Amino acid sequence: MNTWLYLHAPQLLLDTQLALQTPAQQQQPQVLLAGSRVGARQVVQYNQAAAAAGIALHMAEVTATTLVAELQLRPYQVAHEQSILEQLAQLWYQDIAHIALYPPQGLLFEVASVLRLYGGFQGLLQQLQQRLQEWPIRYVVASGDTPLRARLLAQAGQSLLSNDADSVQQAVAQLPISASGLEPVHITRLQQVGITTIGALQQRHRSALGKRFGRTMTEYLARLNGELPMPQQYYQPPAQFSQQLDLLAEVASWQQLLFPLRRLLQQLEAFLQVRQLSVRALLLQVKHRDGQHTEQVIRFAHPVWQLKDMLGLTQLQLERQQLDQPALELALQAQRLEPRQPHHGDLVQASSELAAPTQSLGELVSRLQARLGEQAVQIAQPQRDWRPQQVQQWQLWQAATATAMAMPQLPRPLWLLTTEQAIELQQWQLQWGPERLASGWWDDTPCQRDYYIAVDQQQRQGWIFHSEQGWFVHGWFT
Amino acid sequence: MQLQQLLQQGLVWQGQQQQRHDQQQFVDSGWVELNQNLGGGWLRGSVNELQVAQPFSGELALLVPLLRQLQRPILWINPPAQPYLPGLLHQQIEHSPLLVRTHSQQHALWALEQAIQSRQFGVLLAWLPELSAAWVRRLQQAAEQHQQLVFIITAWQHTDEARAYVTRLQLQRGADSFQVGIKKRRFGWPLAPFVCPIDQLLPTRRRLVS
Repeated sequence: MNTWLYLHAPQLLLDTQLALQTPAQQQQPQVLLAGSRVGARQVVQYNQAAAAAGIALHMAEVTATTLVAELQLRPYQVAHEQSILEQLAQLWYQDIAHIALYPPQGLLFEVASVLRLYGGFQGLLQQLQQRLQEWPIRYVVASGDTPLRARLLAQAGQSLLSNDADSVQQAVAQLPISASGLEPVHITRLQQVGITTIGALQQRHRSALGKRFGRTMTEYLARLNGELPMPQQYYQPPAQFSQQLDLLAEVASWQQLLFPLRRLLQQLEAFLQVRQLSVRALLLQVKHRDGQHTEQVIRFAHPVWQLKDMLGLTQLQLERQQLDQPALELALQAQRLEPRQPHHGDLVQASSELAAPTQSLGELVSRLQARLGEQAVQIAQPQRDWRPQQVQQWQLWQAATATAMAMPQLPRPLWLLTTEQAIELQQWQLQWGPERLASGWWDDTPCQRDYYIAVDQQQRQGWIFHSEQGWFVHGWFT
Repeated sequence: MQLQQLLQQGLVWQGQQQQRHDQQQFVDSGWVELNQNLGGGWLRGSVNELQVAQPFSGELALLVPLLRQLQRPILWINPPAQPYLPGLLHQQIEHSPLLVRTHSQQHALWALEQAIQSRQFGVLLAWLPELSAAWVRRLQQAAEQHQQLVFIITAWQHTDEARAYVTRLQLQRGADSFQVGIKKRRFGWPLAPFVCPIDQLLPTRRRLVS
């Protein structure tokens, strides 16, 4: 029974970069170079256009640039590739619980428990592939009865998927000793004594090999046979979501950032799904050429977790924004994570003659605020204050709490003017009053006013007051 | 003979047939005469226009009986002043107003359409300048589809260009009374202004003895 699956992505970093490019850009020959000194670097990853032009692995930089004049060169960054590997692990953590990272390009899955769920290796692979729909990376997957066998097969490019342990053992035995993953010194010495395959190595007496090559060799053989438990550190998804993407080319507007953002939001969706969380705010961070960065916070009035909701609302919000400088890197951080609330359908309302709501009020407010700005949607909130203009306060919809207001004893107008307007008293007929409101002596806006109900020349009923500054209209009853 | 058959199958519409309207379609406006003139009250799923010469001429007092009976919040788009909680409470209107302010008419219309589609509100009130025929038709279709009651409060319009509003009312504050003129209604011809006793909801008016 083969219970291990190893995935090897030899071009992980380059493939991820290509996935963000336009088809025309993808046709350009591109390579990643490793090595410390400029000029002595080697090709470590290359795309298909480069391969077609004759570029090969480990080719020297000079040879490659001479061969293909228009070759695009970029440095290979192991740290970046490793973070991509973690993103992959996070993506697949939705399907498989036991994933071990083999940085920078490998992932090991323990699949004994999920093979039955997905109906064998083919079903499992389909599931894994489905998550990669918008992330076309090239990879080799191999199964094995021990982690090391699966890994050696995948790294050698042999995609052997089988339930039969014997066939795996045979395939591994036929691998050349150079693919054994042993230290180069050992490999050379083994080749010198005529051991050219892993199978040949296994036929030797272990104690004799141990004497000659030391403990690492005996340990290696024990791991190959699964006699020694491999120290497995299974992947644990992080508690917070924070990811970033290289853009490769400068991007001048938020609109153009939506495509790479979609990738990040897709990862966020997976992150939220695994934890059954929802998010109330996103922090977008754009890094510029000069090392500066621009931040943009996207708030949602209701908790969201689906890609289409997050993308739609973010898009509406970004339509109003300008990007001052071109962007080189995009980072996304999830803020205000909260557990998902079960959605209650309102049975009472649905049965009455009212049409059932198509979306929650929070969803609507999110949409409105996304396009119009956060301040555009407000709700009146009662306050404990005697002053007419302080009795209510306009607050952001999400900040509002249910507070009851005491029923006013005396008539109050339906409208309140935000700023009172000076009036000529001759044009008004007083009808009722005065009601003296004196309050606020404890802070810097004290108020001492005599309020009247009066009718203006157009016969409109207003709420007017007299203070030390004169006569003002403050509200309307109609 | 063939015509008879068509009539029996209900394929021919006859003009003299009495429009039977279901009372379920209507929301009581709270004013007897207005209800009669509108065929029963405000039509559910309709966009209505209230034309006022000046803001605060009585348009909100006219709607007070309607707003009192709502079970859902009221949306206020670009009102001319703040809706005032103590005054609303005094008139037994209990939902806290949800206020939307926009910088442009285009945004206001967009917000209104979104709100209609959400079916979250009892009544949607929007203060807007004159609307194009296309926009009125679009809003009316949305309101009908989602069964939402919408009021557009706007200035007096002097042209008689057709619009797809279900009702168009002209409101006027006279010296003695508040008058409602019907420029368009669904079940009848336009009507000359008639008195609507909104003063009974308001603080008592004293006639000055001069």
